[in-house]
Amino acid sequence: MMQIECQNISFQYPHTDIRVFQQLNCRIDDAGFHALFGPSGLGKTTLARMMAHEIGGYSGQILSDSSKKILYTHNMERLPGWASIGDIILSSIPVSDAERMQMLTDAFGMRPCMNARFRRLSLGQKNRANLIRYLLQDFDMLIMDESLANVDETTRGRIIITLKTLFAEKTFLYISHNMLEVARFCKDIIVLRSPDRLPQVQTLQGQDIMDAESFSMPAVEQTMLEIVHAS
Amino acid sequence: MLHKRLQQFVLVYAAGVLSLILMKYLLHLSDYVIPGPLEIWRTALSVFVRYLRNVADTLWIAVVGHLISILLAFAIGIAGRRASWIGSLIHAAAYNIQAYPMVAVAPIIFILLGDGIIARLLIAVMICYFPLLLSVISILSEPVDSVEHFYEATGRMNWRLQMRIRAYENIHKLTTVIVGSATMAMVGTIVAEFVAADAGIGYSIRIALYQSDLSKILAALFLIGISTSLYLTALEWLGNVIQRKCQA
Repeated sequence: MMQIECQNISFQYPHTDIRVFQQLNCRIDDAGFHALFGPSGLGKTTLARMMAHEIGGYSGQILSDSSKKILYTHNMERLPGWASIGDIILSSIPVSDAERMQMLTDAFGMRPCMNARFRRLSLGQKNRANLIRYLLQDFDMLIMDESLANVDETTRGRIIITLKTLFAEKTFLYISHNMLEVARFCKDIIVLRSPDRLPQVQTLQGQDIMDAESFSMPAVEQTMLEIVHAS
Repeated sequence: MLHKRLQQFVLVYAAGVLSLILMKYLLHLSDYVIPGPLEIWRTALSVFVRYLRNVADTLWIAVVGHLISILLAFAIGIAGRRASWIGSLIHAAAYNIQAYPMVAVAPIIFILLGDGIIARLLIAVMICYFPLLLSVISILSEPVDSVEHFYEATGRMNWRLQMRIRAYENIHKLTTVIVGSATMAMVGTIVAEFVAADAGIGYSIRIALYQSDLSKILAALFLIGISTSLYLTALEWLGNVIQRKCQA
C-alpha cells in the first residue's frame, strides 16, 4: 500500500529565482525505515516539510492517505526549559503511554537524563529526548531530519534497530548525510539531486538490516557505490 | 547593583551642578539666576524632609501606574500577538498613539478628572503604557519555532502554552523592557504633577519654578534621581531573581 507519493513537484522559493525542484517524482510504497539522501542545500528539508504539509506553494501533488498522520522533526528542536525533560515529555502524552516512554528512555540510553532540564543535556541527548517525544505521538509516518545528529555511531545504530523493531508498522523517512548508515539500515533510499539533473530523484534499495552486528559489508559497499553514482 | 547605579547617578548629578556653578562664575551670573554652592546646600537641607515625602508620593504613583501599565500591556499584548485583524488593529493603534506626545493630552485629563491622584495615575499609565505595549506585542508575537514546532505539528498548541513558551524564551527581553519602562512611569508622574497636580515632587518643582529657586529644583532633581535609581535597582533585582529561577 502506497505510503506517500510526490508527483511532478516543482518549487522555487518565493521572491527568488532559486529553483529547488523541477518535475520531481518519488514514492514510498511500504512501511519501514527509509532514507532521503543528498548533498546539503538541495532541498531535502524543503521536500520533507512539503510531505508533512508544512510548506505549500508548489506545483504538482503529494499524495498520501488523508487519514495518515505525517510528522516532521528536525535536530534543531528544543524542549521547553521550565521543567525536566521527563516532565515535559509526560505532559505531552497520555498517562497510559508512560510505560512506553520508560521503554524508549531505556532503549535510547536516556534514563539518567530524564530529571535534567533540556539545556543541561549534550547535543546528542537533546536530539534523543526530542525524538522520544515524537515517537510517543500518534503518527503513521515520521520524517526525521538529522534527528540523530551528534549521537555516537553505536547508539545511533541501536536506536535505528529499536525503531525498526518497535515501530515495524510505521513509516520513517530518515534524512542523514551518513552514507554508511543509510546504506546499512534503510529500505528505500531516495537520492535527491540537483534540479539540473533529471530525473531529480533516484530511488535505490538499501540493505535494511535488522541486526547492527551481522551484515554483509560487500553488499553495503555496493549500495554505497550506487548512492555515490546516483547523487 | 544599587551601589553602581547610585554611584553613576551621583557622578552625573555632581557634574551637572558643577557645570552650573562654573557657568555662574564664568558668566558672572547673579545668585538670583544660579545660587552659590552654600545657598544650594542650605536650601537642600531646609526642604529635604518635605521633598522626601513628595518624592515618596510621586514614586508611589509611578509604581502603581507602572504595575497597571505592565498588566494592561500583557493583557492587550497577548490579545494583539495574533496575526488577526484585532492584532493588526491593536498594533497599529498602539504604534500611532505612542508616537503622539501624551503630555499634550494631560490638560484634558486634568479638566475632566481634576488634579487628584486619578489624573496623575492616568497620565503616568498613558505615558508608560503604549511604548511598553509595543515592545510586549513585538516580543510575544515572535514565534519560537524551535520549541513551538512540536506542539504545532502535534496539534497540542493553545494560546496559553504559546504565551508560556514565548515569555519563558524571552524572559531577559521582557524584564529589560519592564525595567526600561519604569523610567517612563516616573517621567509620566512627574510631568502630570508638573502640569497641574497639587502634590508630588513635580508639583514642588513647579512651585520652585514660579519662585525661580534653582536650589530647590536641584534638591528635587537629586531626590528624583535617587528614588528612580532605587526603583530601577529593585526591578532589576526582581528580574534577575526571575531569570535565575527560570535558568535553575
